[in-house]
Amino acid sequence: MIKKTGVAALVAVALALSACGGGEESAADPNQPRVLKLWHYEAAESAMGKAWAEAIKKFEATHPNVKVQFEEKSFEQIQKTASMVLNSDEAPDLMEYNKGNATAGLLSKQGLIADMSEEVTKRGWDKLLPGGLATTARYDERGVMGSGKWFGLPNYGEFVMVYYNKDLFEKHKVDVPATYEEFTAALDTFVKAGVTPVSLAGAEYPAQQIVYQLALSKANRAWVDAFQSYQGKVDFQGPELTYGATTFADWVKKGYVDKKSSGLKAEDMGVAFMKGDFPVMISGSWWYGRVAAEAKGFEWGHFLFPGSTMAPGSSGNLWVVPEKSENKDLAYDFIDITMSKEIQNLLGNSGGVPVAADPAAITDAKSKELIETFNKLTAADGLAFYPDWPAPGYYDVLVAGTQQLINGTKAPAEVLTEIAGPYEDNLADLGN
Amino acid sequence: MRGPGRWAVLAALVMLAVVMVFPFLIVALNAVKSPEEYSSEGPLSLPDGLYLQGIADFWNRVDFGEKLVNSLLISGSVAVLAVVLSVLNAYALGIGRVRGRLSILVLFLVANTLPQEALAYPLYYLAKELGLYDTRLSMIIIFTVIQAAFGTYLLSAVLGQFPREILEAAEIDGAGRFRALTRIVVPISRPTLSVLMIFFFIWTWNEFFLPLIFLISNDNQTVPVALGVLQGERYMDATMSSASALLGIVPAVVFFLIFQRTLTRGITVGAVK
Repeated sequence: MIKKTGVAALVAVALALSACGGGEESAADPNQPRVLKLWHYEAAESAMGKAWAEAIKKFEATHPNVKVQFEEKSFEQIQKTASMVLNSDEAPDLMEYNKGNATAGLLSKQGLIADMSEEVTKRGWDKLLPGGLATTARYDERGVMGSGKWFGLPNYGEFVMVYYNKDLFEKHKVDVPATYEEFTAALDTFVKAGVTPVSLAGAEYPAQQIVYQLALSKANRAWVDAFQSYQGKVDFQGPELTYGATTFADWVKKGYVDKKSSGLKAEDMGVAFMKGDFPVMISGSWWYGRVAAEAKGFEWGHFLFPGSTMAPGSSGNLWVVPEKSENKDLAYDFIDITMSKEIQNLLGNSGGVPVAADPAAITDAKSKELIETFNKLTAADGLAFYPDWPAPGYYDVLVAGTQQLINGTKAPAEVLTEIAGPYEDNLADLGN
Repeated sequence: MRGPGRWAVLAALVMLAVVMVFPFLIVALNAVKSPEEYSSEGPLSLPDGLYLQGIADFWNRVDFGEKLVNSLLISGSVAVLAVVLSVLNAYALGIGRVRGRLSILVLFLVANTLPQEALAYPLYYLAKELGLYDTRLSMIIIFTVIQAAFGTYLLSAVLGQFPREILEAAEIDGAGRFRALTRIVVPISRPTLSVLMIFFFIWTWNEFFLPLIFLISNDNQTVPVALGVLQGERYMDATMSSASALLGIVPAVVFFLIFQRTLTRGITVGAVK
């Protein structure tokens, strides 16, 4: 009896509170005011943040009856909740999402994001995406990228390169290397002078990307397709990965990288380079804008990894249109604006890597260098994606493997056997 | 205690205090640095001057005032409702001696140890069916139940020791069960209830996982979820994260300072005065 009163009171409170919530939906009449609900997780001052803010303005100018309702989300929230949100009435009309089999591929398989193949060909977006950039936008019925229907569209690219400290290079009389031999000779010079040359973080992605980069210098496109899209057999004890792992172990032995770095995070690696402690950092273009803005103590530059035509890299994140969206037409119009020269050029001038900019319109010198390097890489079909992509949870496997290489606790061949396991398991799951 | 022993204890306490405070100090230090300074000097250097732009930028970027209101609303409602629910349950279980109360308590305890990850999907489907997904109300209901599970367990143990004589005296004076609860049991256990309420408030305030999943719209988000905006995929804005962390813990600290007297009183209170 007493409990019942309490429960009744609670229910009453609950009902009163729920009356305050609730929202309304707009009708799909052409003259009616409409709302485009847009989510992304790029910081406002980043290249994408700036370019997309401009795209929203332009969109509202060309669609006077539409209001863009933009919300900045956290990366983690989108990662953890995407399938739940997209399955509910709270789904946005357009959102940024991570490319890859485990992310966009999974959503496409679950039928939560819309197939936009028709729009892609109609609006000619496919012609704007050269050399490997389209790979991450297309997924087959298993959710595996590289072929099948278009489920997303990338606005920008990213790739791994060598950042170098020009002041330290000059001080030790080292020239920018053109070949792998010149590169190691340069690293040797620094080691002899008592300077650890390469800033590294073993606890996160940087170490595995270097191992992969080294393997790529001995690989061809067919090997990458086999490794990433399962189009063929990958031998983990084959020449490519064996070279990558043994050479990396060699780098540790020769002192190119610090043994202590096995526990460092990517942030530590970047800050150490920006402080001017290291002559070289091998990492992605996502650092570029920050290094430009924050590394004030020295002159710096970049070059592609010497002796390799391929580098880890891919398209950036994708625009995806949730299947539940009632404003798909508006979402496609918006994507079209973000692919326009104007927005792409703004993206480039803000330190990003646009996919379809007009190189002549990039006025910022540092941005121009970056985009030229990227265009060189895509022209040679050099985007080789990332080593942790092929299997779910592979990132942690690779972190553990590369840490063992840095600590010297396991031989390269043993590490390769160890990382082959989860890869083969995933293949078996996919039915290959 | 006299002699060198006292100093040893003092030294140990000072050490412990330093170890506890050090991370907060680092956060405070980096919160007032500019990003350039952080990148060129590293996280441990002293700031050259006071750079408050990071805090201001963060405040505006996530509309922090709104998040504070949301957190206050959710934590406050949960604290009050969960205590009410716990008292009602515990009155039945601890004093009312319901049959099978031990097994009921064990059930509550088990429910309390369930990881929230296991609850996420069932709760998601329930909330969606009821139209409560992405509402603050869903969080209030869920956390009221979760916190009340613990509260019921704790209060039942406390009320199990409640002096029978007082209740019998009340019964002779003609008090019914409800009157005995509101006039006798609640006033006497007030210190325990206040402590429980404060704990519920702080625990709910710090909840991250379920709010992350349930509060999708930015308008509904709580403080800890808003702090997550700064952690990118491969990018971390260390100075702004520090600024936001500072902003995030300030309300909980203020709340604690206001209620700390109640807290200490509640912990030291005896069963029968």
